[in-house]
Amino acid sequence: MNLSFLIWRNLKKNLKNYYLYVFALIFSVALYFSFVTLQFDPAMDPYEGSVKGGAAIRAASVLLVAIVSVFLLYANTMFIKRRSKEIGLFQLIGLTKGKIFRILSSENLMLYFGSMLLGIGCGFVFSRLILMILFKIVGVEQQAELRFSAEALVQTVLVFSAIYVLIMIMNFTFIKRQSILSLFRVVSTTENKVSRMSLGQVLIGLLGLGLIGAGYFVSTKLFGGDFLTMTSLYMAMLFILGSVIVGTYLFYKGSVSFVFNLIRKSKGGYLSLKEVLSLSSIMFRMKSNALLLTIITTVSALAIGLLSLSYISYYSAESSARQSVPNHYSLVAPEDIAAFEGALDDAGIGYAETRRKVIHMEADVSQIIGATIGGEQKDTMVLSVVSDETVPGVDVAPGEARFTGFDDALMQFLSLKDRGKLVFRGVKENTPMDLTGINKETVVSWYYAINMPTAIVDQSLFEKLEAEANPELQREHNTYVGIDIADRSQLKEAEAIYVRLGFEQKAGSYSQQTLITNQKVNMGMAMFIVGFLGLTFLITSGCILYFKQMDESEEERPSYTILRKLGFSGSNLLGGIQIKQLFNFGIPLAVGLSHSYFAVKSGWFFFGTELWTPMVLVMLLYTALYSVFGLLSVLYSKRVIKESL
Amino acid sequence: MTAILEAHQISKTYGNKFNKQEVLRGIDLRVDKGEFVGIMGPSGSGKTTLLNVLSSIDKVSLGTIKIEGKTFTGMKEKELAEFRKRHLGFIFQDYNLLDTLTVKENVLLPLSIKKVSKREADAKFQQIATELGIYELRDKYPNEISGGQKQRTSAARAFIHDPSIIFADEPTGALDSKSASDLLNKLSELNQKIEATIVMVTHDPVAASYCSRVVFIKDGQIYTQLNKGDESRQSFFNGIMQTQGVLGGVQA
Repeated sequence: MNLSFLIWRNLKKNLKNYYLYVFALIFSVALYFSFVTLQFDPAMDPYEGSVKGGAAIRAASVLLVAIVSVFLLYANTMFIKRRSKEIGLFQLIGLTKGKIFRILSSENLMLYFGSMLLGIGCGFVFSRLILMILFKIVGVEQQAELRFSAEALVQTVLVFSAIYVLIMIMNFTFIKRQSILSLFRVVSTTENKVSRMSLGQVLIGLLGLGLIGAGYFVSTKLFGGDFLTMTSLYMAMLFILGSVIVGTYLFYKGSVSFVFNLIRKSKGGYLSLKEVLSLSSIMFRMKSNALLLTIITTVSALAIGLLSLSYISYYSAESSARQSVPNHYSLVAPEDIAAFEGALDDAGIGYAETRRKVIHMEADVSQIIGATIGGEQKDTMVLSVVSDETVPGVDVAPGEARFTGFDDALMQFLSLKDRGKLVFRGVKENTPMDLTGINKETVVSWYYAINMPTAIVDQSLFEKLEAEANPELQREHNTYVGIDIADRSQLKEAEAIYVRLGFEQKAGSYSQQTLITNQKVNMGMAMFIVGFLGLTFLITSGCILYFKQMDESEEERPSYTILRKLGFSGSNLLGGIQIKQLFNFGIPLAVGLSHSYFAVKSGWFFFGTELWTPMVLVMLLYTALYSVFGLLSVLYSKRVIKESL
Repeated sequence: MTAILEAHQISKTYGNKFNKQEVLRGIDLRVDKGEFVGIMGPSGSGKTTLLNVLSSIDKVSLGTIKIEGKTFTGMKEKELAEFRKRHLGFIFQDYNLLDTLTVKENVLLPLSIKKVSKREADAKFQQIATELGIYELRDKYPNEISGGQKQRTSAARAFIHDPSIIFADEPTGALDSKSASDLLNKLSELNQKIEATIVMVTHDPVAASYCSRVVFIKDGQIYTQLNKGDESRQSFFNGIMQTQGVLGGVQA
């Protein structure tokens, strides 16, 4: 048996054990390669390309490398610890450390570069798919072409070789530092197994829960009007971030053990098998993994949060556009309107026109406003007013007003009451009226509404107000004109005309289509990048948890043997293991989801109009992918249990 | 006397047709209720294999074994597990306690599968634990107590669910002589008091002298048996030593 035979045997054995590592490696190389390919794709060119996302993708690929290298280094420390016995044995039979290092290096070399080549192959094949996904999300209609980029290849090989060198340096220092004896012992020193619950720990546990709770509480208040100046808002955000992260750490360090210990105490020593396998083992493990779990939780929360926000924004592109302008097109200058309508007529596109006279009035809202803006109480604001006759389906009684065009961010900031008194201040006299309701539907474009609600009043009152209106507050054009294309299939032609006539650049002119496209391109790009980074992170952190569980299963093998000798069958044990894995994977996931829920909840209204559907979709997807790793680790435990008797 | 365990012509072979290793060659053994049987023999004589086979952890190649009239050879793995849970108790050389459970939790483990009420379980625990002198240690973890205490915990776990028979594999193997004699005294006390049936494998003649009967095996067969009868422990010990002297050693 010579050395190369030894290397070959080791490789074969390892491949079986570490298939997931190999998979993660292949996946990250593939992803990186296709990202870099994308970066060099002509479609990404900042001047001529149709997507213009080169810079964003470059930034993403740097992050990707960071995630992947941390993962690979971490996985490597776990593997080398596992193999310390083998290394000790090699030393014992007289191999020099240098030779052992060579064995490990060449073994890794094959495993690593083999996976890398495979990864590049996959990346090449998938780069077209990824480009297609990107085009689809962003809404660009262009053929994605399969092209091989030599620059991408060189960059990928360089980056991953650098990571390989890092891994080798780590292995080298590990081997160098160890004596034969300590190599044999290393497994038993990595985890401190059993210690008692002390009072300090109970306090840590309670503190952890308290900090997370406090962070959540402040986050719900963040934009509710309690933090008025920029500095206090900033401080509040810092506080939330700090207290939630520290709280999460303490939660893993103490709270989990604390809660489980309470459950255990209540059983009075009389534990069922399921509790033995789940409660007692998790209690002691979570503590030693607290830091790792905190990082995993925080970054997953970040990934879910960002993904949710960008998806919210993407998802509500259409309703946001409708919020800015209620009709397909809106132009202000009469000559522009005439030109556009003339062009539509020439092209044979049917349309409907909506005209609403808009006046602007100062209104005293002190009775109905719930919040203060910018530190000082604001009693008056300038509101746009339209008559109920110009808004179909709305009839307002004389003396009453209804607010409309109220978006969610506005709702959060102003917290207006939906009923109450308000007074319009005219030039000569004031007109009091009752506010009878608020809704979200917009009736005029942003140009007229100026980020405030629009009041709808009775026609007779409208005429009276019009006479009273302060001329200084009025806009240049006082009639809102909306144009709706009758046949939706002709929207594309209409959009072409709109762009051709150069209205895109004109102030006050809006096109829903342009707004939607812009938002989709921007947010689609963000979503695409965050999505893929999130996926990479998900897979790498899932792998790390899986490796940890693999180690734990191995360590608990003697316990399984004892239990099986005592007469618990394999399926009995598996039941307990399933619960354990549910907690092991479920707790970080649940905490991550809850963090991201509160993060999204506190500021989602800046991003779009729809909270629940996009957020829940993102969370479900994340959970489903994450569960795969839980399932894999249960399967692994099943194998260990089977072999344990 | 009612027979608790009856083994009939059991053999155990390892390996395949061409390379066969016979470890047990047709052993007949009967253990009655309330007996404390020792199994002795030199290294490699098959005593641990015998115990594993009798306790259903390992399967026989030929022969049948009955416990309380029930034949369990030929049962499926799942039935066997069930059988072990209900009818058998175990004490191992290396204690086999779960590190993550306290003494009390370890002892009560076998009861958790029977539908025993918590009160009843507590009472049972108190009785056995006091008997074995570990009641005070109930909330400690295994790494906080001594080897002797661990082994008594392991013994308490074996007794707690009133098994038909208790198998002990070198229970004193890892203990110092004081802890060993403590444990053996407790075992024989429990054997007499509650008529527990115990089968113990040992290579230590002192440990064997606590038994009521000692079976010697050699090369996979029963070589001879010694009954204690009314002898004192000292003279029984001498008898065991003599037999062991004849038994041991390589044939010239």
